[in-house]
Amino acid sequence: MGRFGMCGRLIFDSLFSQTANRGCIIVPHNAKTQIRLNRLFNTTSLNRNVEPPKMNKPKAKGIITWKTLGITTVVGGGLLAFMLYVKREKELAIARERKRALGKISIGGKFKLKDCKGRIRSSDDFLGQWCLIYFGFTHCPDICPDEIEKMVEIVNKLDKDNKLKVQPIFISVDPERDTPEVVGKYTAEFSPRLLGLTGNRVEIDEVCKAYRVYSSAGPRDQENDYIVDHTIIMYLVNPDGEFVDYFGQNRNVEEIFNSVKIHATKYDRMNNPGWF
Amino acid sequence: MPHLNKEERSICWKSRDDYWKCLDKAEASKQLDPEKACQDLYQVFASKCPGQWVKHFERKRKFEVFKKRIVEEGFEPIPEEKK
Repeated sequence: MGRFGMCGRLIFDSLFSQTANRGCIIVPHNAKTQIRLNRLFNTTSLNRNVEPPKMNKPKAKGIITWKTLGITTVVGGGLLAFMLYVKREKELAIARERKRALGKISIGGKFKLKDCKGRIRSSDDFLGQWCLIYFGFTHCPDICPDEIEKMVEIVNKLDKDNKLKVQPIFISVDPERDTPEVVGKYTAEFSPRLLGLTGNRVEIDEVCKAYRVYSSAGPRDQENDYIVDHTIIMYLVNPDGEFVDYFGQNRNVEEIFNSVKIHATKYDRMNNPGWF
Repeated sequence: MPHLNKEERSICWKSRDDYWKCLDKAEASKQLDPEKACQDLYQVFASKCPGQWVKHFERKRKFEVFKKRIVEEGFEPIPEEKK
């Protein structure tokens, strides 16, 4: 092989050799070509100025990293909060609709009566607080005392257990005998918190009409005594002065207590919507 | 006539309860005239409670007795007219 033999050999090598047998080249013995050959085949000198490609650990480029997890949590949390907000708005809208529909029952309303000291008390004075109203008369044999005791017990229980202040009110259906002084003496024996209200015939008729209270004075005996037949109901009025619920003789203290609690909670939620 | 205060009310109710207990005992022992047997207690009851209340409680007792009888002994249905 002559001079061309080197190139031919290279080609030959690249085509057929697999092992490092490239050193087997017959070359003309010559210093210049020797250096050239060295440069060609000497791997160490070739790589002196070039950094070998770094053998990095194959990075697992997965989907789940701390960063993506954080982003998902924030976005998911935001969506959840938005969904809860929308749900709450919907519930409030439904409750308001229901309330508006029930409000058409039209029981209750404004009244202007006198308290035990003869001062004029209007229904507006009680806006901002819950009220339980019971209609009765001081000459009542047994029902009114029982119901008023029940009402006072409920109010005390709500005050103690729930810090919910409910104003108990007694309104007389017997204006002829139940003057402000008489009513004051009567209610004082049940509770200092019980407010007794009375008025003249016209005022009492007005408030009885507003609350759909039936009353009828019975026949008088020789002592001019008579019993007034009347509706035996406790009315629950909310801080907006609206009638909310009624409780008859068959409901006991526990039942009425729970019912008032639920109404108060519902009212607070409607008027102070928060996140929870 | 002024209304009864709390104490007077409970005295009246107590005398009523005593009278009714006597009546219950007399009726249970199948006495012919329970009211006569408990006459003394009735006098006390009538003195402690206003007349209207006595009438009211008598009506109440009749109703309670009637209710009890219906529950325990059943009732005779009114015969229906044949259509």
